[in-house]
Amino acid sequence: MPLLEQIIQLEKEALERIGNSDSLDLLNAIQVEYLGRKGKVTAVLKQLKDVPPEKRQQIGAAANKLRVKLESLLKEKQTSFADLGPKTIFDPTLPGTASRAGAPHIINQVMGEICQIFYGMGFEIAHGPHVETDYFNFAALNFPPDHPARDMQDTFFVEGGRLLRTHTTPVQSRILAERKPPIKIITPGLCFRYETITTRSHVAFHQVDGFMVDEGVTMADLKGALVAFCREYFGEGLKYKFRPSYFPFTEPSAELDISCFLCNGKGCQLCKYSGWLEILGCGMIDPSVLEHAGIDSEKYTGYAFGTGVERPAMLKHKITDIRMFFNNDIRFLRQFT
Amino acid sequence: MKLPYSWLVELSGSKWPAEEMGDRLTLCGTACEDIEPTARYFDKIVVGKVLDIKPISGADKIRQATVDIGKEKLNLVCGAPNLEVGQKVAVAVIGARLAGGIEIKKARIRGIESSGMICSESELGISQDHAGILVLDDSCRVGKSLVKALDYDDYIMTFELTPNRGDSMSAIGVARDIAALSSSKISRPKFKIKPSKEKAGKYLKVEIEDKSACPRYAARIIKDIKIAESPWWLKKKLLMCGIRPINNVVDISNFVMLECGQPLHAFDLNRFGSNKVVVRRARKNEMFKTLDEKEHKLSPEVLLITNGKNGVAAAGVMGGFDSEVRPDTTDILLEAAYFNPAVIRRSRKFLNMTSESQARFEKGIDPNGLEYAIDRAAYLFQELCGGSVLSGMVDCYPKKIAPRKVAFRPQRCNDLLGTDYKTSLMKKVFKDLGFTIAGSNAGTNDKKLMVVVPTFRPDIEREVDLIEEIVRIRGYAEIPDQVGNIGPLFTPIHPQDKFKEDIRRLMTGQGFDEIMGHGFDDSRLAALVNPGQPLLKISNPNSVELNVMRNSLIPFALTVMKNNIAQRNLDLCLFEYGKVYFPPDARGNWREEYRLLILVTGQTQQTWRDKSRRYDYYDLTGVLENLSSRFKMPKLEFTGSSIKCFDSELSFEVKCDQKVIGKIGKIDKAIAARFDIKQAVYIAELPIPDLLKLCDNSRLFEALPIYPASSRDLAIVVDETVKAGDIVSTVREAAGKLAEHVSIFDLYQGKQIAKGKKSLAISISYRSSESSLESNQVDERQRLVVGSLKKEFNAEIRDK
Repeated sequence: MPLLEQIIQLEKEALERIGNSDSLDLLNAIQVEYLGRKGKVTAVLKQLKDVPPEKRQQIGAAANKLRVKLESLLKEKQTSFADLGPKTIFDPTLPGTASRAGAPHIINQVMGEICQIFYGMGFEIAHGPHVETDYFNFAALNFPPDHPARDMQDTFFVEGGRLLRTHTTPVQSRILAERKPPIKIITPGLCFRYETITTRSHVAFHQVDGFMVDEGVTMADLKGALVAFCREYFGEGLKYKFRPSYFPFTEPSAELDISCFLCNGKGCQLCKYSGWLEILGCGMIDPSVLEHAGIDSEKYTGYAFGTGVERPAMLKHKITDIRMFFNNDIRFLRQFT
Repeated sequence: MKLPYSWLVELSGSKWPAEEMGDRLTLCGTACEDIEPTARYFDKIVVGKVLDIKPISGADKIRQATVDIGKEKLNLVCGAPNLEVGQKVAVAVIGARLAGGIEIKKARIRGIESSGMICSESELGISQDHAGILVLDDSCRVGKSLVKALDYDDYIMTFELTPNRGDSMSAIGVARDIAALSSSKISRPKFKIKPSKEKAGKYLKVEIEDKSACPRYAARIIKDIKIAESPWWLKKKLLMCGIRPINNVVDISNFVMLECGQPLHAFDLNRFGSNKVVVRRARKNEMFKTLDEKEHKLSPEVLLITNGKNGVAAAGVMGGFDSEVRPDTTDILLEAAYFNPAVIRRSRKFLNMTSESQARFEKGIDPNGLEYAIDRAAYLFQELCGGSVLSGMVDCYPKKIAPRKVAFRPQRCNDLLGTDYKTSLMKKVFKDLGFTIAGSNAGTNDKKLMVVVPTFRPDIEREVDLIEEIVRIRGYAEIPDQVGNIGPLFTPIHPQDKFKEDIRRLMTGQGFDEIMGHGFDDSRLAALVNPGQPLLKISNPNSVELNVMRNSLIPFALTVMKNNIAQRNLDLCLFEYGKVYFPPDARGNWREEYRLLILVTGQTQQTWRDKSRRYDYYDLTGVLENLSSRFKMPKLEFTGSSIKCFDSELSFEVKCDQKVIGKIGKIDKAIAARFDIKQAVYIAELPIPDLLKLCDNSRLFEALPIYPASSRDLAIVVDETVKAGDIVSTVREAAGKLAEHVSIFDLYQGKQIAKGKKSLAISISYRSSESSLESNQVDERQRLVVGSLKKEFNAEIRDK
């Protein structure tokens, strides 16, 4: 029989047998019979060398095509038997093999969550330079030269006459100088202070500051916005208290404490047995800050607030050492995938 | 600042328990951080009398004492050098628990039984002093409990005060807030000086050269005093305030300062050097020795108290050594002054020294409060040191500082706070604070009050300061929480923020962990990685490891890698989206820029199914290609370039649209070694602004193909120097528009082929948007491809 016909015959025969096979053993036998070293298809391929060259390609291609087809059919059917699996034992407990996703840095996650909540309340996200002028970082925010308030924020200075911003509030100075009210902004980012690096303090940390300026903005609006934020971020049902504080750029100024979410205000190690956690500083924007920016402080009023990011992150996730954030040990980072 | 609860009760008449007092003060801005019982360690401590002391053989530091504690006589071993027979001492009996966690048990020391302990101040928790035992006043009755004998049952309240509230840095200052909160009045102690006939003015004149730096300087002279230990009541007050008693003169000055906030300084009149006080700026390079025996080279930044010739005190900061009160002092010149807060701040910074006095002057004291302070101190010198107070106070006060009048509109107050307070209520708050309302002739009317603010509150200058007083005393709880004003309705998201979020998603999705830098670098490492590049230097670094701002994300990434390797985290896929900083350019423009860094090192994860392999360069380019396709950027190219931090063989510029947009390569071995890194590290760093410019956010839909694709595989052998990228472009060119995809799916070098050659398998997928392709059309194209490859690269086609 000419080889080409043999091939057609073999195909017909093999397809039928594969179709009728009902066990993995049978399939394996068929595989050997056709595709094995001494198999029928292999035999055809071996004869190719005797075929005249002008026909060789056509026959060769047909034989190869058959080989490929049988291989794939056999494999498909073998797999289906394997899936049914009375013969091979399938182990469902072997670990899955998907590749793992990376972890966004926990500080970025927390900063994102905080911004998201304020974004939902209509605050636009804005940024400013990390290397700032004394004017935007201090003077425009009512820190007079030679005022003790400057000692509240120990500053790194850089060559060339600027400084590393000690808070993200200079973004407020910049935006107030550029825009007209109504303005409602949130400013997340990195800040720097001249501190000793310990478990609780670092030379760099993150802050989210926010402010709003419009006609008729009151301290009640400030309380409303911050209480809404705390409920959203730390959970419903917490108690809060505002107590007087001092920041040069707000007056009146306040500190917001929330009841400790770990012990519900009963007192525990987290809240140092006080039942309260200090969360953020806030107040009504000092009229002199508005005037510095050329905004009429009789017509417009505003509020401002600011919170660290590391501290709420440490509280919420029970992280005990602030240095972990910049140390970037992947075992730490991956806990917050 | 620490103050005993009893003192505040004494001055304010308050009936609030300590806890409540602390809470209320905190809620009015005088933050009480801690309340601690004073006699926490006084349980089972009694007064004893030392009857007898015997040495212990073989021990020269410890002795054995017989101590009478009333009910019994105890045998105690004691190491204190100041133990003497006849002393009254504090004895901790069995079961007492002392500060620092010591529990008293029966013990044998050097074979001698000791059934208790004679205590030092530090063991009782009343000071840090543990040099010797506490010696009690002889009036203490033997056997009495120590807490009763010392009258020591109290609470210490620790206050954390804000820098604007200089007025509350004293017992009277805090008592004023308590009085304001409870609508009562403070009661200051009453006293009477019996002045001698001699006039102080005979001994002293005061001249002020710089009147804005020193608006007021007053002095009194007290003669014939005897320096001695202070009585217990005075020492107790100081101890409770955390201040070490020294002698009666120093203690009285400190006590009066703690009581009313006015710092005082006592000079030895006989060592003063003249009968004239001259207040002036220090001269450049003028030398001055402070009482802690430090020599200072001064500058006009420092305000100096002089005797007309030499400095006797750095005004408001610290007294001088030469005129210091010593054990033989008999006559004193007592100074009470008011200095400009900003001047004291500059002096303090120049001298780099702080003190209790300086802290008060710097925050602002009452210029009209110093008569009380100086008289109170003079009275105590008379009573406790046997001094004779010369009549008259020498007072140089050229321009009296009058109470300020501040206009206040009740309506404005309610508008700002969102409250509904009646004017009468606001007036009451001012009255409780000790403020008065001027009459209509001074400008008060229905809509506006002229509030007269006493000089002890220099922080209140404007209407808004008065509004703060209202809310501070009423409490923030009275302000409703509501959102009445919602502001702008539209909140845009800026493209940079969106891009950052998109990058973060893309990178984490590919298994990369995000790291975060603090912006600082070690100049040595920064210069090593990026030699010759300008660095922004910190003028006042707090360590050499953090003395510049980074100009590349690479050194920090290597530091992070070093930390991880130290923890045996060897396989890392990291990225950072962070800022780098530059010094100002020649035109004075400052620049900082976000960059993206990607790092791979170590091995891929091994599973039971897949073998692990080393991460390499292609893992990075793969990520960059994903990035460029995600943001529809033009095709990326990687061209060889010698970049200092990379291995010269593996150092490339990343180009896109003919522009360099970053660098990629394998970190140079010697540099890696400086970070203790031995394994291969591949890093890419790309400035974000460049990436953002190349992003195409149009995201237009492309119609899906209608006709089937037809694919052909091809294996070729070429010289190993031939670049895959060139092969792919040649294939594309030859295959023409019909070639939809060209990919390289196998690379082989080894035994099967000749040395210096490599085999590549290429898959080409052909498709037409107009019709189904016939196999001869595809074969035709494929022949052209083979022809080009042979021509261009001398490629040899491998049979399959």
